[in-house]
Amino acid sequence: MFKKIWAIFIRDLRINTREFITIWLLAMPIIFALAINALAPSINDSTVRLALVDGENPVQEEYLENFARVSLFENEEAVRERVEKRDDYIGILRDGDEYYILTQGNENQAIVDFAKTLQVLYTLGYDIEDSTAEIIELGRNTPPFKKMLVNISILFGSILGGMLIAINIVEEKGDNTISAINVTTVSRMGFVLGKSMMGLLLPLYGSITVLLITGFGYVNIGQMLLVVLSATMLSLLIGFVEGLANDDMMTAVASFKMIFFPVGGAVAVAEAVSDKWQWTVWWIPYYWTYKGTGEVLSETATWPRMLLYTGIIIALCAVVFIVMIPRVRSGLEKS
Amino acid sequence: MKLWYSFTKELKLASRSFYFYIELFFAIIILVVVLFAIPENFSNSTTEYLYLDMPVENAAAFEARLLDEDSDNTADKMEIKIKKELIPVTYYETEDRKIYLVESEDDLVKLADNKKQLGAVIKVDMSVSPPVTSYKYYLQGYETDRLKNLYKVIHNSNLATLEAAVEDQEVRSLSTEYTVLSDREHTIPSLLTFNGSLMGMFIIAAYIFLDKEQGIIKAYAVTASSVWQYLMSKTLVITVTSIVTTAIIIIPVMGGKPDYLLMLLFLITTGFFASGIGLLISAYFRSMAKAFNAIYVLMVAMMLPAIAYFIPGWEPFWIKLLPAYYIIQGFSEIIVKGGNAGYVLLLSLGFLAAGSVLFIWATAKHKKSLTA
Repeated sequence: MFKKIWAIFIRDLRINTREFITIWLLAMPIIFALAINALAPSINDSTVRLALVDGENPVQEEYLENFARVSLFENEEAVRERVEKRDDYIGILRDGDEYYILTQGNENQAIVDFAKTLQVLYTLGYDIEDSTAEIIELGRNTPPFKKMLVNISILFGSILGGMLIAINIVEEKGDNTISAINVTTVSRMGFVLGKSMMGLLLPLYGSITVLLITGFGYVNIGQMLLVVLSATMLSLLIGFVEGLANDDMMTAVASFKMIFFPVGGAVAVAEAVSDKWQWTVWWIPYYWTYKGTGEVLSETATWPRMLLYTGIIIALCAVVFIVMIPRVRSGLEKS
Repeated sequence: MKLWYSFTKELKLASRSFYFYIELFFAIIILVVVLFAIPENFSNSTTEYLYLDMPVENAAAFEARLLDEDSDNTADKMEIKIKKELIPVTYYETEDRKIYLVESEDDLVKLADNKKQLGAVIKVDMSVSPPVTSYKYYLQGYETDRLKNLYKVIHNSNLATLEAAVEDQEVRSLSTEYTVLSDREHTIPSLLTFNGSLMGMFIIAAYIFLDKEQGIIKAYAVTASSVWQYLMSKTLVITVTSIVTTAIIIIPVMGGKPDYLLMLLFLITTGFFASGIGLLISAYFRSMAKAFNAIYVLMVAMMLPAIAYFIPGWEPFWIKLLPAYYIIQGFSEIIVKGGNAGYVLLLSLGFLAAGSVLFIWATAKHKKSLTA
């Protein structure tokens, strides 16, 4: 049995390697991780951008540089032109002895308020040197946004496994391989498991690669793999059902939205919605994955909690499995 | 005429397939989520842990001010669990801040460290005259120097004076015609970009691969109908689906605010452009599985402008090299009252031109593969 499952996996691997797909799949987590490393610092350093007239008030320029990105322009007209462009630049211009804030009119209010505060701090003469504040750092170097990107890419890695399976199955159906399985010594379950191997190993490889490259190699890999594995099982199940239930690639691709939508919803709620509304996404297994991997990345995870999350994911998986198993069976029989 | 015949035939086939109904179903789901799950405006409240290192009477005055600002004018006593330890706190919630007052600096450090939030000690030194207030901030360590500078300076003087001065600071706007979108409305451009325009790229590629698999595309080598008509009929079906699903989402959410004629034009041109990419992918790969990585990477690259769209102040120059940036900006201009119609028209022209180039390229490649 295991030999046959292995043979199916090796066949998939060989075909994919011949077509460079395996190389692509192996390269993808590396590309994502490098992209996260490149993006995270600049996102963390995002701040209001101010446009000032060059040489008009060098002291003000120097002061504002402490808090924001300052760009200097030849004259007032050039500042106006810059502010008028599509992105959010706020102008600070002089009118007599007073300074006013120049906006395009469609900026986020928080940005305008921040620019106003900075100008007022300058006008009132609040100097950093006079500060009585002491700053103590707790020793964390990884910004939360980077953690979020890593978490999302791990989650998407597990979904990628499911998508790959769905596409493979629809293609196998096109080639009539599945019908051929019925007359071979390989059982249907063996075929299912053999086809799952690629989708199962890929997210595990992807998670570890992303963690190592993005500098999260210090987290508890065991806890991480436990959560990722449970989410991958679900993705594979959905991938199988989609592959078997859909006869054409177009419908299969459109059905991917069925995975992306709850995943997107779970991430959005977990990140942006207050605690009292989190229950609205408890039914989405990927929510527990995101929460679990998030805690592992923050190093606040404990084994009992990770086991609880995994238990919830498996329980929800079981519900999906019970609901979908007739479709998988009939899909295998029909193919 | 042949194009019209091909188009209506494709549309009839699509309307009978499951795909069409999945698209409609998801448009309705997105609509329900936008209307009922996304709040009109997100709460942007920050969490702070504070320890008041000052005489009882000063602390009482400070707490009285917090109580005054609290949304229900009550101080909630509660306990926060940190690694089996219960830390007593008094909780205040104002319009934009969640404040937890703790009983010792040790507790403050534990909370700031474990909850990864800002912790601050406000100290009043009574041994000097007049008494001096100073601040000690516990930060995580990843905060930028600019933010640290702000923390250093923001409490240098009286907060009330600062707030009053900020209130009085003059702001002049170049245009007063803009209306600011609510947070819910703000999500619409990115949703339209992905559900409408860019999904078209994915779907049309799948559409062609399906025909390749079934050998339908080869039949065009021996029919009177040309390849470009075949590809264009597919593009039109995707465009019609995109228009219908966009209408399902946009009309109930935005009502009469957007310029629908402009919206229609923009949907057609951006859809044409995205379909052009999809057609090109389908021309260079033999099957969906083989094109999967290219499509996946392309989709993720196209999602990056959405991150920039939601993070004010982060807009590196390279984001502007990605077409999705302009699609999101275009939809944004269409739905905002007083938006720049000229800009949308210019973008539409650009997408039409780029789409045409891609379409001609894809047609030539498909033609070549038919005769090869």
